[in-house]
Amino acid sequence: MWSEFLPLMNIPRPPRLGLAASLAKAMLVASAALFPVAAQGASGDREFGEFLAGECVTCHQISGSYDGIPPIIGWPEEAFIHAMEDYRDRTRPNEVMQSIAGRYSDEEIAAMAAYFGSLTLQPRPQ
Amino acid sequence: MTEFTRRRVLIGGAAIAGASALPFGFARPAFSQAKPKVVVIGGGPGGATLAKYLARDSNGAIDVTLVEPKESFTTCFHSNLYLGDVRGWDSINHSYDEIASKYGITHARTTASGIDRNARTVTLADGGTLDYDHLVVAPGISLKYDSVEGYSEEVAERLPHAWLAGPQTQLLKAQLDALEDGAQIVMIAPPNPYRCPPGPYERVSMMAHLLKNKGHTNSRIVILDTKESFSKQGLFSEGWQRHYPGMIEWQDPTMHGGIGAVDADTMTVETDLADYEADLINVIPAQMAGMIAIDAGLANETGYCPIVAETMRSTLDENVTVLGDATIAGDMPKSGFSANSQAKVAANAIRASLTDSRQFPARYANTCWSLIDTDDAVKVGGRYEPKDGKITAVETFVSQTGEDAEMRRRTQEENMGWYAGIVADIFT
Repeated sequence: MWSEFLPLMNIPRPPRLGLAASLAKAMLVASAALFPVAAQGASGDREFGEFLAGECVTCHQISGSYDGIPPIIGWPEEAFIHAMEDYRDRTRPNEVMQSIAGRYSDEEIAAMAAYFGSLTLQPRPQ
Repeated sequence: MTEFTRRRVLIGGAAIAGASALPFGFARPAFSQAKPKVVVIGGGPGGATLAKYLARDSNGAIDVTLVEPKESFTTCFHSNLYLGDVRGWDSINHSYDEIASKYGITHARTTASGIDRNARTVTLADGGTLDYDHLVVAPGISLKYDSVEGYSEEVAERLPHAWLAGPQTQLLKAQLDALEDGAQIVMIAPPNPYRCPPGPYERVSMMAHLLKNKGHTNSRIVILDTKESFSKQGLFSEGWQRHYPGMIEWQDPTMHGGIGAVDADTMTVETDLADYEADLINVIPAQMAGMIAIDAGLANETGYCPIVAETMRSTLDENVTVLGDATIAGDMPKSGFSANSQAKVAANAIRASLTDSRQFPARYANTCWSLIDTDDAVKVGGRYEPKDGKITAVETFVSQTGEDAEMRRRTQEENMGWYAGIVADIFT
């Protein structure tokens, strides 16, 4: 059972996909790590993602701070995409997130994954 | 219909149009000092978010002025939690200083007293005038004091509405804190459409929460409603029975038969059924768009401002965008979350029209959390897109009655997390 408020450290989750698809994804991740230029080309539209992210950052703080709603910055893009796919097909609970993810296309999710994945934790001001 | 008409660039009194035409047929300002000017009236969740996003994302290419008399903003959202002692006063107040300095927004600390849409100027209460290429009007609501007989702005100093957060909220809190056990509170709840649909009922919950915590279980709250039903009704009714049995009574018009006059001297509220004596009377009157929008002719016969669903631009003036509670936003409720969401769509559209940056399709969202008692929160929300000429709900959800305590506790955690998130989004 995946928690509704999954902390960042638990994000990589057992693949839901068949073995072949999992291997393909694993290879994609591996090749992305080896060939960063190619990975950039395969990644989502970051600028579009930044616009779409406007909806997310009303609750998920762009600084990465946690005050009851988990941070979503700096995730591996694949992990972000998996989480959103699980909300979209309602295998992961939370009505707000299911409602949000339900309206996004693969392209849009990839765009947000690219944007949030590019952000790093900001120290909380005193 | 996604672009604004670029303002002619006036230099030395002469209009130079199309001096350097862009592929899309817009005139780019001829000189670098002719930066497009955007004036934002109102520093609530709509106006402040718009100012921040526009200034931040344009990297100085647009001159952004926020006209807002206050130094800091008291959020209406979570002001009920302040009434219930769940939050402190400071925690719902937020300064504009950080966004002004960080993103280069000019904060004009004065009131906008008028808009000349032909001249494209805003006159200020301090005597100044601001020119604009595009104007954003985000004035929130104004109260129709005369919708309740005997009520007025003066009477509100004794019978608070507390529907514009600030000193009114503190007045209501002081009155609430001074009550003895056995006190009777009467709330007059407003007709639709109004700011924050679940707000009156969350407020009653937080009043009851405070009274219960003080052991004042003989106190009573009567809600005289002008509506036959209200937002999250089943959830609130269930919660009131569970947490505050016998303390809260809700009356729709078929029960009270009609609300008559309020009298601050005798502390009574007349209805067709009976006259109610009260120790505290909270009058939430009917509402309409903020006066500056009405005075500028941006509202229609409904008292609210019609907008283009794709951009939040006024249907009555293409050089004006209206945001938040003042608008007719289709299926979106009047909430801080809605205004914040609309501001981001509008900022993208305005920036695209003034600087030829990319414009993306509008998407809107809203969620309203309401706290009923400690660790018992509920939520309602949806996602919205332009459809059939209005902002239309494409996905909605609402908490269910009978949810377990753990779910409600997590919803409250989410509620507090959302507050921290949205104020960081607006004010940092």
